[in-house]
Amino acid sequence: MANLAAALDRLPLEVTRDVRVVFVTTDPARDTPVRIREWLDAYDPRFIGLTGTDEELTSAQVAAGLVPAARDSSSTAEYAVGHAAQVLSYTADNLGRVHYPFGTRQTDWTHDIPLLHAVGRAAP
Amino acid sequence: MSWWCSATGQAWEWTWRAYPGVWLFMLALAGGYLWAVQGSRPVEARRGALLGGSALLLIWVLLDWPVGALGAGYLVSVHALQFLGLAFVAPPLLLAGIPARRWAALAGSTRAAAGFRIVAHPLVAGPAFNLIVLTTHLPSVVDDLMVRELGAFLIDLAWVAGGLLFWWPIVAPVPARAAGPLGKIAYLFAGSLIHTALGIWLLLSRAPVYAVYELAPPIGGRSVLVDQGIAGGVMELGGGVIIIGAIAVLFFRWAGAEDGTPAGAVPGTLPAARVREP
Repeated sequence: MANLAAALDRLPLEVTRDVRVVFVTTDPARDTPVRIREWLDAYDPRFIGLTGTDEELTSAQVAAGLVPAARDSSSTAEYAVGHAAQVLSYTADNLGRVHYPFGTRQTDWTHDIPLLHAVGRAAP
Repeated sequence: MSWWCSATGQAWEWTWRAYPGVWLFMLALAGGYLWAVQGSRPVEARRGALLGGSALLLIWVLLDWPVGALGAGYLVSVHALQFLGLAFVAPPLLLAGIPARRWAALAGSTRAAAGFRIVAHPLVAGPAFNLIVLTTHLPSVVDDLMVRELGAFLIDLAWVAGGLLFWWPIVAPVPARAAGPLGKIAYLFAGSLIHTALGIWLLLSRAPVYAVYELAPPIGGRSVLVDQGIAGGVMELGGGVIIIGAIAVLFFRWAGAEDGTPAGAVPGTLPAARVREP
């Protein structure tokens, strides 16, 4: 998120005003709406946070072609959640374009986001 | 268990972690240093304990948890601090603490001593140091090596070894050379060019240079670019202060000697440590 925020800061306004960064939690029990908002605000107040029931979030992950998150049941107090870490890009024509894996750098974002923006606008 | 501090990608925790490789390395370094200073005259032993002990303590602090772990995988500013300490501070202290008797052994006519004189020649040591500094700061090298314990160890080792090589013609009395203070000042200036350029590069870059620090779990609440700017400042200012300080010491002692003032304990011109080449 920090790298996305930093990349957006370097892009022109005519691009960034059309960009929506949406974070979807996979741990609704701990990621309350307030907590998500605080966390996202630390990066960029424009970022959007979404949550839901376990069923809704699982359905969303499956629909996006991701392996649903799984909670590590070995510990009850400080449990970990294994989840997908990709960033999925959707353009203005409602098409999913690219899955960006963990490791995508700021230079990649500043290169790709304007292209995705242009593709979405050019689409009929 | 990790043997050496490297980038793990795990969230940072202020929980102590053991790095046995660092301890073994320090034991080997301290053992070698104790061997070098053993049997010294009391004055030399005190000097060796003070200078060498300080250098060893500094190296240990820079390599072990938490500094070593932070510099290896989280903050490039700490990585730059490690570089300064391992290449610019600890090596001259180590060299300055070695007694004259040990230097004499390197002034002989053996093949090893002759080979050593070539390696320690300023025209070899200076470019070699700059090459090491440049190579160990290339993004491809850093990103590839810092994620592996052996790779991180090699970078740390290269800095210490490169630092010893760089400071040798300035601090060590063997092999004796007729370069004089002005030659040493020119050598120091030339030796600082690469790290100065690297510092400026880090300061002015508009994007993170190293993937390993850009993608590291966030720590300290500051952005990667701000931390990178601090790293550039550390290299630029810290390295500059050390190099200019060393140049100032050489210059003023040279000026004092020109005035007829006794040179005193000038690094590299220690009367007790001066050894004549065969």
